[in-house]
Amino acid sequence: MAVNMAVSRIKREFKEVMRSEEIVQCSIKIELINDSWTELRGEIAGPPDTPYEGGKFVLEIKVPETYPFNPPKVRFITKIWHPNISSVTGAICLDILKDNWAAAMTLRTVLLSLQALLAAAEPDDPQDAVVAYQYKDKYQLFVMTARHWTNVYAGGPHKYPDCDAKIQRLKDMGIDEHDARAVLSKENWDLEKATESLFS
Amino acid sequence: MSTATLNGAASTNLLQQQPSTSTEASSSVAAAAATAAVKTRGAEFGDDVAPTSTSHLPTSPAICRYFQKGICRFGSVCRFSHDLPGGEVISSNTNNSSGSTAPASTLNNERPSTSRRNWANAPAFIPAADHAGGEVLESVVDPNHSWAEVVFGPNARGRSMPHMASGFHEIASVDEECPFESPCPYGMFCVYAIHMELCEMCDQFCLHPNDEEQRKKHKKECLQQHEQAMELSFAVARSKDKTCGICFDTIMEKAGREKRFGILPNCNHIFCLECIRKWRQAKQFEHKITRSCPECRVSSDFVCPSAFWVETKEEKDKLLGDYRKALGIKDCKYFKKGDGKCPFGNKCFYKHALPNGDLVDVGCPKKGRKIHRSNNEIINLLDIYLYEFLEQRNLNFLDFFESTGDEGEDSSDDED
Repeated sequence: MAVNMAVSRIKREFKEVMRSEEIVQCSIKIELINDSWTELRGEIAGPPDTPYEGGKFVLEIKVPETYPFNPPKVRFITKIWHPNISSVTGAICLDILKDNWAAAMTLRTVLLSLQALLAAAEPDDPQDAVVAYQYKDKYQLFVMTARHWTNVYAGGPHKYPDCDAKIQRLKDMGIDEHDARAVLSKENWDLEKATESLFS
Repeated sequence: MSTATLNGAASTNLLQQQPSTSTEASSSVAAAAATAAVKTRGAEFGDDVAPTSTSHLPTSPAICRYFQKGICRFGSVCRFSHDLPGGEVISSNTNNSSGSTAPASTLNNERPSTSRRNWANAPAFIPAADHAGGEVLESVVDPNHSWAEVVFGPNARGRSMPHMASGFHEIASVDEECPFESPCPYGMFCVYAIHMELCEMCDQFCLHPNDEEQRKKHKKECLQQHEQAMELSFAVARSKDKTCGICFDTIMEKAGREKRFGILPNCNHIFCLECIRKWRQAKQFEHKITRSCPECRVSSDFVCPSAFWVETKEEKDKLLGDYRKALGIKDCKYFKKGDGKCPFGNKCFYKHALPNGDLVDVGCPKKGRKIHRSNNEIINLLDIYLYEFLEQRNLNFLDFFESTGDEGEDSSDDED
């Protein structure tokens, strides 16, 4: 019965998302990955007036058999620079996806909550400590880094030639582009420190 | 709607007024018609098994035991004698007596036999299709039998046919209530004095013309029934398209025992009982999470089962009161009529009574272990256990509630 409930609920939620206002505004999107309705792909637009504006972020959604009594497992597939999202794995730290889940929540509310999370980070309850530290300590650098990531991975509009040049320097040393970007971001775009941490 | 039966009765009457020495040819047709009329009457009396053959009719001289008790449902077509030992012959449709004595008491299940429901089930009047016609013909040829005997059996000799105002037989009792379905086809010529008047509320002829008390009583009952039916239809209407916030199904469209609401005392969010119970029993979350409404996170101590959705505060208070009352009737399985000890004390919803029936106040629940959560919140474990205990045990309350709901549904059917 539980399986049936999970599937029948996901089907309904799918329709709910498809009919929602947000889909008209292109701010959230959802699509099926397999026929069993247990795996879906979500997409949220970066909220306006945030470093994520203009980007599209893809999410992996796995629905457990015990849904809706347990939350869906959600993570970011698109790489993102955010204190509550792992820049490495895309894992999300959001209470409603863990112990604060409620059975009345839906895929739509989850996606909207994630959008809200992008707009209001919680650096005191971080998933990625490095990002959280930068957020608290060097906010301007954080905004730049997040915009740069949004531009590169999510199609955002802000280009940072300075960052690209630094990444190119590391690439020339035989470093993978993403690894180079991750290290530079972590080291606050200090090329020397980045090189040091790469080759030490 | 009533024409078939009325025609049947009229044709019976017509036949009886014919002299019994009519020709054979016309008599066979008439006999068949008469048989059919008998059958129609049988069906009208609410018999599921109408007498199928008139050959059974004129038989046993033994006195009908049911007739002696005044409850013979076959009335004049009974194969046993309806002559009482004193030679006194009582005419009347005995089975109609329920209609005459307490028509208004037919609140739920008990219905007068002359209800429309039975009319609808009456067999069609098709003289030629009567397979018993041949047998009737044989008895008809016997010139010693009158038409009344053919129709009502030999015991009908001397029976009165009160509607035959011609004085053919003596008139039995004119002070009785007219046994025919009102409006009586004989109108002002009917010899029965009492004709029930139409109750506009239930649209049935069940108001005694003179008995003020009966009228009052019936009207009161009718009104009550009407109010109940209204209440029920409101309950159905407001519950109809409510969907569960967990499974998203329309609760009233669920099957069987899943068609139940789980009402939270402290908020007004809609869940089916099964889902909200499952959520509250979820072990993977803290009690603080599962005790609270999945929609608004307002905490509620227990879930009250209900067959219908309750919208207003009054409805809800009544439901919760009924719920506690229903649980309070049952003995607590921990208290064991004094032999055991209930850890929930006077917070328990179940009954704490000694074998002699005396209620016992067992005082406050004994202070339980208190556990400290990481956020310094103190949760009294006893509270949690109490309501889990209640939720596991209170299934029976729903049966109680459902049965009252079903009664209500029956009465609404009667309204139609």
